[in-house]
Amino acid sequence: MTRPSKRALPVTQRADRNLRFGWWSLLVFLSLGAALETLHGFKIGWYVDVGNETRRLMFTLAHAHGTLLALVNIAAGLTGRNVDRFSLRPSVSFALIWAAILLPAGFFLGGIVIYDGDPGLGVWLVPIGALLLFYSVARVAIDLSKLN
Amino acid sequence: MPKLSRSRRHGLLVITAIAGASGLTLISLYNFHRAAQPPDNRPIKSQIAGYVSSNACRACHPGNYASWHASFHRTMTQVATPNSLPNDIDKLELALHGREYKGERRGDKFFVRTRPEGGSYGEPQQVVLVTGSHNLQILWLETGEGHTLHQFPFAYIVAEKIWAPVNETFVMPPSVKEYYFVGAWNGACMDCHVTQGQSRFVAGNKWDSQVAEFGIACEACHSEGWEHIERNRNPVRRFKIHLTTKSDQTVTNPARLKGPESALACGQCHSVWAFNDMMDKIDFNRHGAAFRPGGHDLAQRFVVQPNTSDHAEQKDFIRRTERDFFQNRFWGDGMIRVTGREFNGVQASPCFRGGEFSCISCHEMHLDSPGQADAKTWARTGQLKPKMDSDTACLQCHKDMSARLVAHTHHTADSSGSRCYNCHMPRTTFGLLHAMRSHQVSSPNVQESIAYGRPNACNLCHLNQTLAWTAQNLHAWYNQPVPELSQDDRTIAAAVQWILKGDAGQRALIAWGMGWESAQKTAGRDWLYPYLIYGMTDSYAAVRFDAWKSLQTLPGFSDFSFTYTAADDSLREAATRAYEKWLRQVRDVNAVYRPETAIDADGRFQQDVFQRLRSERDNKPIFLAE
Repeated sequence: MTRPSKRALPVTQRADRNLRFGWWSLLVFLSLGAALETLHGFKIGWYVDVGNETRRLMFTLAHAHGTLLALVNIAAGLTGRNVDRFSLRPSVSFALIWAAILLPAGFFLGGIVIYDGDPGLGVWLVPIGALLLFYSVARVAIDLSKLN
Repeated sequence: MPKLSRSRRHGLLVITAIAGASGLTLISLYNFHRAAQPPDNRPIKSQIAGYVSSNACRACHPGNYASWHASFHRTMTQVATPNSLPNDIDKLELALHGREYKGERRGDKFFVRTRPEGGSYGEPQQVVLVTGSHNLQILWLETGEGHTLHQFPFAYIVAEKIWAPVNETFVMPPSVKEYYFVGAWNGACMDCHVTQGQSRFVAGNKWDSQVAEFGIACEACHSEGWEHIERNRNPVRRFKIHLTTKSDQTVTNPARLKGPESALACGQCHSVWAFNDMMDKIDFNRHGAAFRPGGHDLAQRFVVQPNTSDHAEQKDFIRRTERDFFQNRFWGDGMIRVTGREFNGVQASPCFRGGEFSCISCHEMHLDSPGQADAKTWARTGQLKPKMDSDTACLQCHKDMSARLVAHTHHTADSSGSRCYNCHMPRTTFGLLHAMRSHQVSSPNVQESIAYGRPNACNLCHLNQTLAWTAQNLHAWYNQPVPELSQDDRTIAAAVQWILKGDAGQRALIAWGMGWESAQKTAGRDWLYPYLIYGMTDSYAAVRFDAWKSLQTLPGFSDFSFTYTAADDSLREAATRAYEKWLRQVRDVNAVYRPETAIDADGRFQQDVFQRLRSERDNKPIFLAE
């Protein structure tokens, strides 16, 4: 017996994967939020000094995007499971998960090393993640529209 | 009236809403446009080619913007607002030379009314600009002649929270009653107290001055930013620069320049400079400085060093046309004696010849280690780099000295006499009512004290010692030749001679120096009282001020009040009051006064010595042109 490829996952399993990923991702990025609050609470200069404004912005964006995209993955999973005649395409499921990784990771890595007002090189992951997100959201919207 | 259908009612409602919103927008735009009109009663911030102002730099350099914003460079000149002016200026009531001045406030604007002797208050003049913020604040008034300004005759001394006539905040002959003239700000002050100022003389006494930015902002040190901003809109270019060690050619970074060029970025203002010729002066006046940071010289101007061979023709011209120019700024050997002109000292220092030494060897213009100090403390302490208030500053280069510190200084390691600064950068420059460290790195030398009158580092701390004592020690320790010394130099403390018979500049330095904690610890405090109390009656206001402030550092006098700008009778009354207090309440009856101090056992001046030295006082007019 051969192991089925991920691409060949049944429709509900693909939705479940986005659901699972979404919840775990939500846990990670809510934890990041708590960590950032702690940096604020102890007024850690590496994070709160005005010269590190870019780092603070990048980390905040990482937290916000990570949390939001976790919710988008959950929403996509629920949509895949509950909407009749609709199934998440393998490419959409894949793109949503990677968007939810690359976008916040790009912001986060971009904030670790900063150049005054510019983030570090990691920020270049953001546009890749953004493209994946744009593709997946557009695809879901189109597919749902076709159901009518 | 026919009833409108539901859809028409909705349509009417929408049209009304759009019309209302449009009307409000137009009103806002009109108000915005009106508020954006530049004022016509003062110099204005204007679009000068290539200059974009600090607001444009802020977005990409928030940390550097913040530390600059905390610095006093930013506030060298400010538009007069409730935040930039001293508190309670609207309640101000002052009098000078028969004129009375009264402040008043209208909204966020401040005005001064003047009443001449026997007359009534005239039209209010708006206070439009303020120069300075941490030591002195000088206010500038509208004149009714466009951008031409007139100086309010009082300055605000920030630390004391008092107003004093401007001429009494400088070392200036008492005969000078009014220092600034109409247009002085436009014709002189704005050369250095703004970023890329253009004086723009019109005619008569009228100016149409404009600036790239009030205060000393980013582009004063980094040159104009337009090209830098435009080219760095491209993120690929920015990341190429971030990831290499190459400097961005579209902007100047003084930290990446060689020592002389880097220091000249500061020296464009922190120096005694003069114009090359009249054409350059006119060009500077019309278009502003042609010098840009990174340049090798000041373009239309040159740094005036009295004893160098450059610009001989120009310096001869200065000697012929402004006789006191050099005396008002330099000691006899060419060392700078006024504050704010540190580049002259730096350039003349032996350290400068190596080509690496510059202002930023010890100072930083942006707080690079925010954890080391808060921005306010950093700004108040000369924007020094971490640890640069200690021997570390010199040990950066003179590394071997730390191992043989005591052998070199002949003082214990923890003594103030073992601190590099105290011997090699003593406080022999004066300005803003206090002594400041010379920025010409030098060694103590008695011959120079005799020849040029400049107090040497040893006697600025050992106030109770003679020049002979110093000369003998310098000979024993460093093999310096012992110069020919007078009888007084052998028997009377150098500081006593300087404060009694020195010129006003020397007296001011010693009056300040007697309040220096290290000197008090070294030379004792008991004998300083009579000299400081006597200094409170000096004919020069700056000497009186420092004598009073130093007296306040002595036990029993910390809260002693004194109006140093008062009339002679009041000064004498205050000095008598202080002396009585010292003699009867504060003086230690068991105190022993060394003979060199010229104080006898009961705490009085040795009258013969005192009268003789006093009669030998150097009374030449001294005006330290800060």
